[in-house]
Amino acid sequence: MCDWCEKYGDGYERWYFNPANYARRLYKIRKEETEASGAEVNPQVAGGMAVVGRDFLELVAKGDMEEVNKIKQQVEGAAWVTHFGQVVTLDEALRVVDIMYPISLISCACRRSMSGAPDEENFVCMGMGPGMYKWERWPDTYRGGVHFLTLEEAKEVLTKMNKRGLVHTLFTFGTPYLGGLCNCDYPDCAAIRTVVDLGIRILWKGHYVARIDEELCNGCASCVHRCQFKALSFVPSRDKAYIDEFQCFGCGNCASECDQEAIIMEERASLPALATVW
Amino acid sequence: MLPTITVDYKKCKEPLSCRKCLLTCSEHVLGLGTDVPPKKFKETDPEHFIVAGVRFDKCSGCMDCVEVCPQNAIQVSFSGGM
Repeated sequence: MCDWCEKYGDGYERWYFNPANYARRLYKIRKEETEASGAEVNPQVAGGMAVVGRDFLELVAKGDMEEVNKIKQQVEGAAWVTHFGQVVTLDEALRVVDIMYPISLISCACRRSMSGAPDEENFVCMGMGPGMYKWERWPDTYRGGVHFLTLEEAKEVLTKMNKRGLVHTLFTFGTPYLGGLCNCDYPDCAAIRTVVDLGIRILWKGHYVARIDEELCNGCASCVHRCQFKALSFVPSRDKAYIDEFQCFGCGNCASECDQEAIIMEERASLPALATVW
Repeated sequence: MLPTITVDYKKCKEPLSCRKCLLTCSEHVLGLGTDVPPKKFKETDPEHFIVAGVRFDKCSGCMDCVEVCPQNAIQVSFSGGM
């Protein structure tokens, strides 16, 4: 189990199956700093998508690993308290919508920032819980407001997004309050981009790891385009797909594409070397 | 090598509706931000949206963004040794 399950799971199988993590106080005149800053992610352009500035990139280019690691730890530490995410499978996401309320479609700040996606085409994010009443109350601030979904509609939308190849992630707004169920991809999702390219863990791997049964794999390569985390490749000399299990974030999108059922989602905890790789 | 990417905001007035550089860049280097924080009750005016270089580490120096900008608002240079 991950650090967050230990801290906030309270006996539930996963911290994101604990209903308490979807509840938060609706009304408080003055919020404590942590709670307040969890809500301050720029909902219009996700802070211009730059989790770290150019100076960080210059340090990486220079090879100053000591400074780089210092900044990484600072950014991660702050993110883990206010706003960070974890990858979940489609099945887990479907379970999540069963236990919380309300759920709505909202516009995606990342896609707006990355490609200027017009609001009409940009409702790929899902917001959860009491925070959505804020979005309903101030649609102008939150560009496009909310489109509340029934449970059935929510599950349908999630399944469609998954078919498209988007990855489901859960995001906190003031940990452990889970307010966002995002549908991510690389590189237009700030979180995936930042963790895959810069190694800054504002997005945690999921509780599963995908593994290929090479005997069942028939080399069709249908899975290869499904990976948003650079973990999956094709090996022509074997005519088989290959998953770097240490890179795999456990989203399950490759497994759902495989006609041969050759990709299995294993519990991360059952693989000793991967159990603490988050 | 990291480029210096400058966008002349006097020339780039409506990035939210133009979007040409954002859609042309094959490495998704540029991003939209706002030069004011979000406000309750108000939609951030499109004129407050700005384009800036974000993912400098991915810029190959192809200059497609410079060429596609109808206002010639973008400059990309690789001098400076970094």
